[in-house]
Formats: sequence, C-alpha cells, structure tokens
Amino acid sequence: MQFRQASASAGRVTAEFEPVEIGLMRLAASQLIDLLEAAETHALGTSGDPALRRLLPDAYTDDPEAAAEFRRFTADDLLERKVRNARCVLATLGEEPLSEVADEPDDAALHAAADSAEQPVTIDLDADDVQSWLRTLTDLRLTLAERLEIGPDGVPLLSDDEAPFLHDIYDWFGMVQESLVYAIDV
Amino acid sequence: MPKTDERLDLRNAVSLDRPWITIVWDDPVNLMSYVAYVFRSYFGVSAEQAESLMLQVHNNGKAVVATGNREAMERHVVAMHGYGLWATLAKADS
Repeated sequence: MQFRQASASAGRVTAEFEPVEIGLMRLAASQLIDLLEAAETHALGTSGDPALRRLLPDAYTDDPEAAAEFRRFTADDLLERKVRNARCVLATLGEEPLSEVADEPDDAALHAAADSAEQPVTIDLDADDVQSWLRTLTDLRLTLAERLEIGPDGVPLLSDDEAPFLHDIYDWFGMVQESLVYAIDV
Repeated sequence: MPKTDERLDLRNAVSLDRPWITIVWDDPVNLMSYVAYVFRSYFGVSAEQAESLMLQVHNNGKAVVATGNREAMERHVVAMHGYGLWATLAKADS
C-alpha cells in the first residue's frame, strides 16, 4: 500500500490495497461511524468517552460556559461531517464482498472467489475523497490512541493482549496517511 | 460633540480591544507531515511558514496560528477540529 499521484488528472491519487487491508479499513470506518452516531453532543463536555472528547475538544480552556456554548452551536455539524467523511471512505473501498458462496458452488465460482480474495485492489481517490481519507484516518488514529492510552510522549500505556495488534493498526493508518500527504504534496 | 467624532471614538475603542487568537496544541498522535499540510492548505501559508508553525507546536507544545476577531477565531477552531487538530481560542495575552 503506497499512494501515488495518478498521472491522468490533478488531485487524483491511487494505491494498491491487499484485500485484508481493505477489510481492515472497512471495519475501522464502520466502527468510527457507530461511535460518532452514538455520541450525544449535548453531553460531550462531560462524556465518559475520552475518544469523543478528543474528537470534539473544548474550544475554550478556561471558560466552561463558552466551551459549552461553542459545542452547542458546532458539535452536531462537526459530528455529521466526520460521519460523512467516514462514509465516503467506505464508498471508495468498493462493494462489500459476498460473505458466503452459494451452497453448492461449481469449481469455477470457487476459483473466482478465491482469486478475487487474493488480488490486490486498486483504490482511486479524487481530491474530495483524499480530504475525507485524511480526516477519517486522523479520527481513527485519535480514537485508537485513546484506546491504547498513548501518553504525551507518544508511548502507549495499554499492555493487554490486544495492544500490539491495535498498535500495528495505529501505525499502519499513520503510514497510509503520510503516503496520502506526500502523494498530493507537489 | 459632532456625530462623526463619536463614530471615530467607537472605532478606536474597537481597535484597541485585545484581539483573539487561535492556538493549536501539540498532541502525540498527529503526524508532523499532516500538521504542516493542514497549516499550508487551510491557512494558505507557504511550505516554509507551515513547517515553522508545525515545529513551534511540536517544540513549544503550542503555537498561535491566527489572530483576529472572536467569530473568525471560532471558525478557525472548528475547522481545525474538523482536521482532528487540537485547537482552542483565547483573548490575546490572556
């Protein structure tokens, strides 16, 4: 996976993704949408979910009243845009693969399914898609960082069984994002 | 006192009022390349200025990225939150 400029038109980028990478992006974006849609904006200031508090931080550090007021006027719209970005990412990943093959598939269908599951997938993004990807990758990394309890020094405190896996995904999202930034930076 | 003078006084009072600032804070998550990209594409500054602002955030823990009236700073802050950057606004020198 490495985004590069598509030669044909300005602002377009393209990259080859492994099917497992597509699946991971799809799962992560879907979970982000669930998190955002379950958020109650009026209660965000006191929300117990640190990920949501980081995605929509206080705009005023020393004035809780102004911060609450700001949230009242901006949080719904901001959440909506974040959801829209994640949906755009999902849309660019293509159709969800069929989870089941027919009950008694013939050999040809089985081979086709196996082949398509192993082939890298080309992802093409236009300039608007790139913006949605950049923002969604950021939101995913911010969310994962809260789960991993990443401290100010960038070191995760979480050390359970899931931590190494989550940290790999966190790093991979960073790599995808950086390749996007470099691909559009001309 | 003539009306025009009154208007002049009012304008002075407004311009002497402390402006507001938009502050972007350092966080351990956002990549330096991305933060510089955001400054460049949103504020329209040169690559060198964006890099220097980003390094200010990284090295000093925060940087003032814009100065102006409160409404404009609130717009900047919500835009930064859209990018996933940690931004706040405050009165200058407060």
